[in-house]
Amino acid sequence: MTELRTAVAARDAGPTTTTKMAVRRLNFHYGNFHAIKDVSLDIPEKRVTAMIGPSGCGKSTLLRVFNRIYSIYPGQKASGEALLDGENILDARYSVNRLRAKVGMVFQKPVPFPMSIHDNIAYGIKHYERLNKAEMAERVEQALRQAALWDEVKDKLKQSANGLSGGQQQRLCIARAIALKPDVLLLDEPTSALDPIATGRIEQLIAELRNDFTIVIVTHNMQQAARCSDFTAFMYLGELIEHGVTEQIFTQPKVQRTEDYITGRFG
Amino acid sequence: MPHEHIVKSYDNELARLTGEIARMGDLACAQLRAAAKALDARDADAARAVMAADAEIDALEHVVSHDVIRLLALRQPMARDLREVMAALRISADIERIGDYAKNVAKRTLALKDAPQIAATRALASLAQLAQELVAETIVAYRERNAERAMKVRARDAELDAEYTQLFRSLLTYMMEDPRNISACTHLLFAAKNIERIGDHATNIAEYVWFIEHGEREMPEREKRDTTIDAR
Repeated sequence: MTELRTAVAARDAGPTTTTKMAVRRLNFHYGNFHAIKDVSLDIPEKRVTAMIGPSGCGKSTLLRVFNRIYSIYPGQKASGEALLDGENILDARYSVNRLRAKVGMVFQKPVPFPMSIHDNIAYGIKHYERLNKAEMAERVEQALRQAALWDEVKDKLKQSANGLSGGQQQRLCIARAIALKPDVLLLDEPTSALDPIATGRIEQLIAELRNDFTIVIVTHNMQQAARCSDFTAFMYLGELIEHGVTEQIFTQPKVQRTEDYITGRFG
Repeated sequence: MPHEHIVKSYDNELARLTGEIARMGDLACAQLRAAAKALDARDADAARAVMAADAEIDALEHVVSHDVIRLLALRQPMARDLREVMAALRISADIERIGDYAKNVAKRTLALKDAPQIAATRALASLAQLAQELVAETIVAYRERNAERAMKVRARDAELDAEYTQLFRSLLTYMMEDPRNISACTHLLFAAKNIERIGDHATNIAEYVWFIEHGEREMPEREKRDTTIDAR
């Protein structure tokens, strides 16, 4: 029976891949507040890892460490290691520019730039690459196709991105992130502002993007974590409580606190 | 017992499900007791009453099934809650079968009422008594969510199998001694087989109690003693 369960879980998660990102004994402080406490976690390549936990548990903070976005704020400090392909990205010698090209991020609220749909995508690419008009058009189309938005916007690329619906704007943000061909895509509650249909589209998109990218998704929606991820990490008060194959976490968590959280009980 | 849910009505719905299952279990026990008594006393009226009362268990099974679907759709249970809900659905199906078997035992009374009394009828009453105890005990284990208690009842199914095998042999002997017994003995044999099957359903219920508590973790080993296949 035990072997069967392991086999079933392994089938759903696919063969174990190499570790793309990892944190080792990571600690994070917002001034005096200790937001992440000694967390070690592996993020496998080309798999979806979901981060769940109540507000303030440190899951979004962890995401912010993965692309070092915290470093623009004074008083925020990370110690320990955060590895991308084995290199410590917390090391000041690791260029932020290089990191941001490798690790894309999409936020809770869609934030299109106040420019055309085309320019929203092209903006980031121009920062890293010199492309001629035709090459750029191709890259923009490719990103929009990958984000499952192309058919809806191909005739209005010159129009303002602000005219798109919330769900379309969020897919535009995903397109903008993947246009840079990152290795890792960080999604911070990407559907919490969207209706169920737009949410479904994003979830379908995650399933497709999983083939090309390593994805980390922070979500408050437990069913969403269960539906879209291969692995789930549960955090509580800055600590990593449990991390495992998603099916195991949602059917038979090993730690009581995880069970209480996912079943909606007082812990 | 796990902590309470943040949403109280969720706890209430799960508790109601447990209550419905327990009620089904109590009814099935009463049915089995009454069926065995009717058979023993060759009381056709009592047997008909048992047959009619089975409808109540069937109705309760529908209620459970409805509540399970509602819980799945509205609460999206996870982990232990999901096991609770799935177990309720399956336990109710097992109890429904137990009810059917009790009804079948009652039915045999009608066929036997004019046949000569044979001593094996007493052994059948004892078999039914044991089966009834096992069902009652699994329902208690379910109420208490006591996996260890459930495993003890599960192990006792071997006693029922052994008694059944013994009864099977003695009925065979009666038939060989006097062919005029064949008709009555065959009916008794069917009734005995039904009662033996009740034990298997009680075993299933016990296993679901284990499943609720421990998920897919392996259950302890147990022996089996239905050796009628070797009977000559």
